[in-house]
Amino acid sequence: MTLYELNGLVRQTLELTLDSSYWVQAEISELRVNRHCYLELVQKEERGGGLLAKARAQIWANRWAFIKAMFEQTTGQVLAAGMQVLVEVEVTFHELYGYSLNVVDIDPTYTLGDIAKRRQEILRQLEEEGISTMNKELPLPRLLQRVAVISSASAAGYGDFCNQLMHNKRGLAFKTELFPATMQGNEVEHSVIAALNRIAKQLDEWDAVVIIRGGGATSDLQGFDSLALAENVAQFPLPIITGIGHERDDTVIDLIAHTRVKTPTAAAEFLIHHQEEELDTLEDLAARLTESVRDTLQEETTRLKLLSSKIPLLFSEVKAREGVRIQRLTNLLANSSIQYIEQAKGKVDLLHQQLMLHAPMLVRNEQKRMELIESKLRSAQPDHILRLGFSIARVNGKAIKDASEVKEGDEIETTLAVGKVKSVVKS
Amino acid sequence: MEKKMTYEEAMKRLEEIVKKIESGEMDIDLLAQHLKEAKSLVEFCKEKLTNVEEEVKKCLDM
Repeated sequence: MTLYELNGLVRQTLELTLDSSYWVQAEISELRVNRHCYLELVQKEERGGGLLAKARAQIWANRWAFIKAMFEQTTGQVLAAGMQVLVEVEVTFHELYGYSLNVVDIDPTYTLGDIAKRRQEILRQLEEEGISTMNKELPLPRLLQRVAVISSASAAGYGDFCNQLMHNKRGLAFKTELFPATMQGNEVEHSVIAALNRIAKQLDEWDAVVIIRGGGATSDLQGFDSLALAENVAQFPLPIITGIGHERDDTVIDLIAHTRVKTPTAAAEFLIHHQEEELDTLEDLAARLTESVRDTLQEETTRLKLLSSKIPLLFSEVKAREGVRIQRLTNLLANSSIQYIEQAKGKVDLLHQQLMLHAPMLVRNEQKRMELIESKLRSAQPDHILRLGFSIARVNGKAIKDASEVKEGDEIETTLAVGKVKSVVKS
Repeated sequence: MEKKMTYEEAMKRLEEIVKKIESGEMDIDLLAQHLKEAKSLVEFCKEKLTNVEEEVKKCLDM
């Protein structure tokens, strides 16, 4: 038997013993489209992930067009590696190319169910870790204008986002920087986490993170349904706004992020709206400020007017009252003046009387004093002194007070109390 | 107003002043002073939101 004959036997046996087709659950491990779609289907162990089974498969171009459209319409995603699928396959065996599966149909709801199950599993895990709402609980800063954007540089999404943001009507300022990441396929998890880590190194520079994905209605979003990425997003210290999902379909990241919008443009709108509200608040405060200051001033002016209008009346009352008081004081002053003058007069009179009484006495006293002085003066006369035994010596009628005034032979006349003695100076 | 005041602090202060004036608790002697402060706070916040300052700086740096 030749090898060809053997392989032919295998083929015939398969064709005879197997049904024409089977519905098979499998995971796509590889997918390549080159007009036809070439796949590798695998089954992994429940635990550990080791391969249990593997088969080549293909979808011929005419079926591929139908299957692709139907799958994408139902799931919103493109068929991609990593997906769990339920496919209808025909088993084929070719003498030269060997065993392969010919995919003729697919049940997209199975894949949807699997994706949903995986998401539920991730969400449950996050809840268990107690972090599922952490990012949602972050307050949005009132000044939300420095935005770190995670997106693919090439996609139109980032351009749309920036364009929308920069051309807002009210001239709100924003600062954006792109942190490039792969936004589809198997690289998503690693690439987005790396971008988040780059942002985390400069947290002070940013108010929020926006993760956006541009492009068509369908995409390979599987990478976003990742536990590691979800954990990173949930625990990221800045609020994260996502625009990666699909009309019918939210990834885990959308559910975990602070805010989820549909498109990059919507993400920009969200930020603009947030800042517009802030601007409104500010303008409202400014208006209220002006108004309340005006009101206060108005009130004060009214109060002042009211008070000032009372002044003339108050003044006339005061004036009248004061007039009475002045009159009273004037009268009092007049009365007391008269009284004072009377008193003063009385005092003068009294003094006058006293003077009249004392004046003669004073005169008499003075006379007595004069008499006393006269008698004293009398006792100081020369003859009174001579009687006491003193004498006066004269030369030529002139009293001598110094011995040099006399010389030898001068005749001295000495006057005594009774009589005179003449003598001559010997020496 | 302090240089290093953040936007949030400025808004809080502004709200405080407006509430005080609205409630009529404001001493008339301080009214002008507070109004002046509030005005500079409004300008500060508005500038932050629309960031005239940064634009000017960018122009000057060139």
